[in-house]
Parts: sequence; C-alpha cells; structure tokens
Amino acid sequence: MTDYLLIQAFNGLVIGIIYAVIAAGLTVIFSILKIVNFAHGEVYMMGGYFAYFAIALAGVPPLPAVLVAMALSFALSVLVERTLLTPLYSPTTERKGDYGILVTFGISIFLRALALIIYGPYPLRPPSFWPGVAVVGGLVMAWDRVFAGGAGIAMLIGLVWFMNRTSWGEALNAVSQSRESAAIVGINDQRFYMLAFGLGGALAGGAGALVGPIYSLSPSMGLLPDTQAFAIVILGGMGSVAGSILAGLMIGVLESMFVALFPDPSRSLTYAQAFSLLVLMLVLLIRPTGLFGRAHVAME
Amino acid sequence: MSDNKIVTPTRRAVLAGTAAALPLLGRSARAADPISIGWVGPLSPPGGYAEGTNMKNAAEIAAAEINAQGGILGRQVEITYADTRGMPAEGRTSAERLIQQNKAVAVFGEFHSPVALAEMEVYHKYGIPFMACDVWSDQITAKGYPEVFRNAPALSLIDVTIGQWIVAAGFKNIAIIAEKNDVGLAARTLVAQELTKANVKFTAVDADPNLTDFTAQILRFKSTSPPYDFFLQLYSEAGAYPMIRQAHDLGFAPTANCGIYNSGGEAVDPTFWENVGEAGKYLVTENVGLPKAGWNDKTKAFVAAYQKKHNADPSGAVMESYDGAWLLFDAIKRAGGTESKGIIHALETTSYVGARGKYTFSTSKEPAWHYHQFLEAPLSILQYHEVKQGQADAPIVWPKQFATVPYVYKRPGT
Amino acid sequence: MSRWSSAFALVLAALALAFPFMVNAYWLSVGVLAMFYAIVAASWALLAGYAGQFSFGHMAFVSLGAYTSGLLVMTFGVPIPLGMAAGVLMCAIVGSGIGFVCLRMRGPYLALFTVAFSEVLRIVIVSENEVTGGSGGLEVTPLFHGATDMPYHYLGLALLGGSLAIMQLLVTSRWGLFFRAIRENEDAAAAAGVKVVRFRILAFAITSSFAGLAGGFYGHYIGILTPDIGSVDQMGLVVAMAVIGGAESIIAAMIGALGLEFLVESLRSYGQWRLVLFGALLLLTMRFARNGLLALAWQWLAQLNFTSLARGRGRRALRGG
Repeated sequence: MTDYLLIQAFNGLVIGIIYAVIAAGLTVIFSILKIVNFAHGEVYMMGGYFAYFAIALAGVPPLPAVLVAMALSFALSVLVERTLLTPLYSPTTERKGDYGILVTFGISIFLRALALIIYGPYPLRPPSFWPGVAVVGGLVMAWDRVFAGGAGIAMLIGLVWFMNRTSWGEALNAVSQSRESAAIVGINDQRFYMLAFGLGGALAGGAGALVGPIYSLSPSMGLLPDTQAFAIVILGGMGSVAGSILAGLMIGVLESMFVALFPDPSRSLTYAQAFSLLVLMLVLLIRPTGLFGRAHVAME
Repeated sequence: MSDNKIVTPTRRAVLAGTAAALPLLGRSARAADPISIGWVGPLSPPGGYAEGTNMKNAAEIAAAEINAQGGILGRQVEITYADTRGMPAEGRTSAERLIQQNKAVAVFGEFHSPVALAEMEVYHKYGIPFMACDVWSDQITAKGYPEVFRNAPALSLIDVTIGQWIVAAGFKNIAIIAEKNDVGLAARTLVAQELTKANVKFTAVDADPNLTDFTAQILRFKSTSPPYDFFLQLYSEAGAYPMIRQAHDLGFAPTANCGIYNSGGEAVDPTFWENVGEAGKYLVTENVGLPKAGWNDKTKAFVAAYQKKHNADPSGAVMESYDGAWLLFDAIKRAGGTESKGIIHALETTSYVGARGKYTFSTSKEPAWHYHQFLEAPLSILQYHEVKQGQADAPIVWPKQFATVPYVYKRPGT
Repeated sequence: MSRWSSAFALVLAALALAFPFMVNAYWLSVGVLAMFYAIVAASWALLAGYAGQFSFGHMAFVSLGAYTSGLLVMTFGVPIPLGMAAGVLMCAIVGSGIGFVCLRMRGPYLALFTVAFSEVLRIVIVSENEVTGGSGGLEVTPLFHGATDMPYHYLGLALLGGSLAIMQLLVTSRWGLFFRAIRENEDAAAAAGVKVVRFRILAFAITSSFAGLAGGFYGHYIGILTPDIGSVDQMGLVVAMAVIGGAESIIAAMIGALGLEFLVESLRSYGQWRLVLFGALLLLTMRFARNGLLALAWQWLAQLNFTSLARGRGRRALRGG
C-alpha cells in the first residue's frame, strides 16, 4: 500500500511542478500589476500551440520549441499589456481591480474563440520530447512527464534566480512592494509592468509547451488550469513566488491522493476537479493571506 | 428640453425601431427558390466541435453532389449550418431560426443528445421532419414524435453489443471509466446489464467530461487485486486520447493480460493516431459504418471524396451525416414536394441505399425506441493491429457475420 | 424624468407589447431569451456595478433557481409558480450565505471565491446525476403548452418590468445610497455609519433572488436544464452584456443584454467569428468606453443637441435619479 501511495504522490509531484510554473507566472503578474489575470490559461494554451507550430512548420526540435513558445508568449503578453492594460497605471481609471478582472476576462473569451478559428477544432499533439517510458522499481512514468517536471524545475529556478539575483528582478520586487517608493527611487514603472506581464505569460506559455505531448492541445485547454492556478496562488499567498511553488506542489500531490483514496469510484474523478476549488474557497475563508502572502496586498 | 431639435429622441426611436424591424419581417418565397435544409451540430465549445466539424464537412459534400446533379425536382439545395455548441438553449434557438428565418423544410444532424431533445420540441411544434444523426440516447426515438427519425444506432443497440462481445471474448473482471453525461452513463448501465447477466465482475468509475489526467485513477486500477483483465472506456471527449496514452504508459492496458476498449468515436477519428501513437495498437473500438468488405459503390465514392477533400478517413458518424443528407434528398424527391407530411411519409417508406447500407425505418413502437429507428444500423467491433492502421482496414472481430478474422480478441504479444 | 425620456420609454413599452405581432416566431424566441439575460445582467449590474460587489457567481444562482424549481416540479409535482418561488427563496438564502462568508473579501478575492463557488456547484450538479440528471440534462415541464411563445413573451415582459421596478426603487432609495457608498469606499462608509455588513449581505440576497427568478423562468421555457447554465462562459456572456451596456446602471445593463442577445443572434451567419467579435467588442468597450456604450451614446446624443442640460438630466435619468 505504501508503494502505491508513493507512486501516486510522485506522480502528483510532477503534475504539481507544472501547476507551480503556471501559478508562479500568475503571481508575478499579480505582484506587480495588482490584477488577477483571467486570461492566464489562454496564454498557456497559446504557448502549447506556438511550440506545436514551431515544430511542425519551422522544423524546430522539441526542446528549443519550448523556448520559442516562451518567447512568443512573452511577446503576446507584452502586446496585450501595451494595448489593453495601460489604463491600470493612469490615475484617472476608477476601480482598477475591476478593470483588470473584466479586461482579462474579455481577453480570455477573445483568445479562446480566435484559437478555435485559427487552430481548428481537432486535438493536436506535438511530438514527444523523449519517447517511451521510464521504469524505476515499481514506478512507471512517461519520459515526457519526467522531462516536463525537470524543465519545470529549471524554469522555477530560473525565475527565483532572476527575481533575487538580477537588478531587473530586484527592481520588480521593489515595484511589487510599493509602486510609489519604487518610483521615488527612480525605477521607471511602465517598463517593469511590461516585463512582469511578459514574464508571467512566458511562464504560462512554457508550461503549455511542456504539457502538449502529455495532454494534447485544444483551444479550451486553458480553462481548467486557470482555476487551478488561482487556487494555488491563493493558497500560496498572493504576491509570493515561493508560496506559489510550494502550493503548486501541494495541490498536485493532494489531487492525486484524493483520486487514489476517495472511496466512491462513481464520484472520485468528478469531484477531483472540485478539489482545488474547494481549497481556494477554504483558504479565502480561513486564512486569506495564504501560506506566505503579504497582508497588505491592496488594489490601487 | 424642448426647443432646438433636429431629430427628437422619440422620432429617432421610431425610425430606429422600424429600421430594425424590417429584416425581421421575412421574405416571401419565390418559385424557383432553392430547397432550404437545415443542419445542426456543435461547431464551437462547449460542444464536441471536432466531430461536429467532421459531420458538417460530410453534409457539404452531399450538398455539392446533389446540386451537381441538378438538385431535387429542378431546384438547388441550400443547407444552412447552425452551430448548437452542445447547449440545449442554442439548439432550440437554432431550430427556430432554421425553420422561421431560413424556411428549412427538413433538418438533420446533431451530436449531443440533450441538445437534440430540446430541438425536437421545436421540430414537433412545426411538424418539420428531423433526421437525427449521431445522437445515441434511446429517448430520441422513444419519445415517439412522428417528425423524428434516426439513422444512427441507439444506445440500446450499441452497448448491448459491446457487452456481448466482452462476454464472448472471455474477460472476467472489467475496469470501466465512463464519462459523466447521459451517453456515458446510459452506456455504462447497458453494458453493466449484459455483464451482470453473464456473471462478469466490473468496477465503474464516472469521470468529468473535461478531464485530461487519469493517471491517479489508472494507477488505482492497476494496484487492485484481483487484477482487471479488461479496461473499458466509455469516453468520447478529447480526454480519451490522454487516457489511452496514460493507460499504455503506465503499463495497465493493453498488455498481454489486460485489453483496452474505447467507445464513443474518438478511436475512429482521423486525429486518433497522431494523438495516441503506439498506445493505439491492440485497442478495440466500434465502428458505426459498414465493414470494408461490405462497402458498396456509394461508400467507396464517398470515402474517396472525403479523403480527397479532407485528407482523412471518414468515420461512421461522418457517414451518418452524409447519409442523413441523402436520406432527406431521397425523401423529398419521392414526396414530390417539400410539404412536411409528404416528406415524413416518404421517410417512413424509405428504402434507400447509402454509404452505410440499405436504410429502412421501423414504425413499431414496441419497444418505444424502435419508432423511426434504423434498426439494421451497421455496427462492428474492430481491433487495431498496427500503428496508424486505418479504421477501415483494421480486423473486425465482431459480430461473427462481419468478422474478418477467426478470433474474437487478439492478445498483445500473440 | 424629463418629458422626452418618458416619451421614449412609452414608445419602447408599446414596441415591447406589440413585438409578438411584428416578428416571426424565431425572433420572438430570441426576445424571450433576451429578456432572461436582461434580468440576469441588470441584477448583476446592481450587485457588481452599483454595490461594487464583483461577484462571478451570479450564474450559479440562475442555475440554483432553475434546478430547485425543476426538481420540485418534476419530483414532487409542485405547481410551477410555487416551484419558481421556492427557487427564488433558495437563492435568497444561499445568496445571503455567500454574502456573509464573503464579508471580508474584496475585489479579486471576491471574484475568485464566487467563481470557485460557481464551478463547485456545477460539478456537484454533474456528479449527482441521479438526482439532477447531470450532463444529460433534466427535463422539466414547460410553463405553457402550445405552439407559440407569446405567453412566454408577456410573462417575461412582466417579470422584467417588475424586476426593473423593484431594482429602480432600491436604487433611488436610501439603500441605493448606501450601496454606492460601500462601493466607493467601504471603510469610509462604515465610518460614516453605514451598516456595511447588513447591506453587503442584502445586496447578495436581493440580486441572487432575481437571478433565481430568471433561472426558474428559463428552465420552464427551454424545457431542459443542463449544468452549463452556470458555467464560467455563461457568466462571461452576462458580464459582457452588462459592461458593454454600462455596468453601473441597471437600465443600461438591461439594454446591453437585450441589444447584445439580438446582435449575437443576427451574427449567426458569421459562425465562429461571432464569439471573436463579441470578445473584441467587450475589450474595446472596456478600453475606450469604460462606462458602457450607452453612456457613450448618451454623450454623443447630448453633444448633438448642444445642451449641457440634456447631458445632466440624461445621465441622471440613466442612473435612476
């Protein structure tokens, strides 16, 4: 029995790494722009398709295609930010929080409908990063998942390094803590908003590119990860990258354990989806700042 | 505010209102007008838009063919395609629109049973004939509406067959994942009945139609004792592909000791092999089209036309849509006009040979779902033996009269 | 209200009453759905735009109202009006509950919580299919039997008119003042003596009741309920309608809903581009006409008439006094 649970837990961990990457992107966006990005799942979806077409049309090998996807997702996010999000920085915009929610919601509807037209309705699957299955003792896992987990960890390490060890990252941190103070010190706001939104999008797009071979691509694939990412960000604490990472891993493992152990088979796979949502609701009720969140997260 | 106005808001409102009302007042039909037929199906989410698009493609081919032949009764055929998105409200509005705006004399198609059920109320209200294509719920015909016909098999036909095949193949302990919608659940119930009759054990798990990760559940199956010897998927959403891959990667099915079956149409879809690769070898599935040995000229012609235009093999559901169109064309021709009762009567006396064989519709109401049902709907069970094998080339293992191989199931590795 | 805006309203009312005789059955059915969306959008505007409670769970109450009524009618043979009333009551209770647990939540937290609530409800409906019919749908008895949608049209009109009247009454009363105060600055409002707790809960209870009413009407019109009624996509549609019309005004939101439903239907020939256009419209409105297109139109109208007086009166008329 412990063997079985360990295998389930490990599997959940790998999924959790992907969750963490998506959630980390959402957190970066939230920390600096102070908005909840309802279109995050759609950037994840676009990233998956970018990678697919980079491979199919330009002959890019699978691994570099992930980087291409991240770059394109970065560009897409910056485009969105420049055209639609600039009112967030203007003092004349009322209730910026609502604006952020509504606009990103609109973007998600738009991108999803556009993707359906451009990419067509059929599920597409990019080629595997590494075909076949890894077998270690009793543990069996597709190499694609192992690869996704590893690449995800690399992305997270890269993000943490960037936030803590580069001047850009430190500036982002400063802006996230206090926009006014950062401005006083001379940190030019607008470029950092672009950077933050682009960075968040790049992470989401990268995650999408990694899971393409595992789950196949479809225009509506961003819907489920969207809500899961919210739950994770809330659990970890809005504004804390470390919190998102930890929360992502936790949710991944817990979801797996839920399906593994829930006694009623006629409901386990349907309520599994509700799991992260219930976590979100519970955290908001009991401890809204999450595990590591900063208490003073305000909107304007 | 009174004096200086060029156009008062009141006047403006009246003008606007009239302008808006004009297109709504409809147009009167002229003599050599095209015959208007409606097609319904999901073309965008949350409906099953991939299959819906395939079925629309088939209808387009049928329309082009009939018009190239000069149309029906000297009039060209015009099909209007309505996207019902898998939502009953959309279905109902689309049905109203097709009948009221587009003056459709008949409608065909649909892929989601609850949507078809909502639409049927509208067809029944106006007495407009409806050829239901890929909706399997028994209720569609069991409701007994004279306007409604179905050229696809009913669940009662399909899942009884699946159950019987499982028993005949000698499996004793079945793991089932069923999608949690009316089709998946009804399928599960019907298969369960057959299995129970033969004392075959099974465990059924219901899954949300939007899931893509079944790893935890499959692991759970894999670690159960006594072990399962067959994995039955009653799952037709996009998640079917990852489910098949996950079962394969985790070493659960297909193996020498555990077979795998996918029901619902995903396994005969053109995107099947691209999405599952190696994992599709030895998978068993059903086909609602004719077995290749039984293909008639129409089947061959249609397959060639579809291949040419869409670079893919048409699945049984696609053929249903194609034949659905032609059944309506045939009925209108025999009725000599587009009057509803005439078409319905003509449909009842159908004896048309289409891509899926010879069509007749029962008028019996015992049991209820027999009414206006194509009872001889072809149904065969096939098993893939090679990666990238076309669904028309895969060996047919059941029923016996169509089987192309002597065995009922081939174990991987034998 | 100024003379010409009441004349305007009268013309609209006349058109609405004569509508079934002016259009064919298809557009009539679109009209019924449009009125359904109008009630939902207007009540959402009241909650989110007016009272500042940005809830994304509104469709959950539509769903709850529809399923409560449907289940009572189908399982226990309860007469439909009673079923619908029960649906409204259920939504009032659950709505108050949600309002209560969300007291300490603001902005995006409230939005996320309510989105989660909505999705959980949808999943429960799908999972407990033995009771609810799940994704296969729950067939419910329609309100009226017969070949025409006319009775639905008039009932819908009555429900819409009644809802609007109640909401307007609310908005022009002291309660409306309190809602707006809470929206602008909750802490300041509390400091000024507004019973924030009571009014936040009230806002949820009242608007959820309207949603439940609309849901019951919808269910007994379409005749089959599916869990998708409460989906996030449907919520997005309603949000878009209210925002494009003008989220801070109930009447603007209602007109937005009516207009968009007809517009989206007329765009059917564009197929999938329909949703793209729709999303684009929402984005453009948000970006360039934050207060909604109606407010924009009003401004143009006012400028055309060269009277600042009109602008003042007009905007006040929209906001309801």
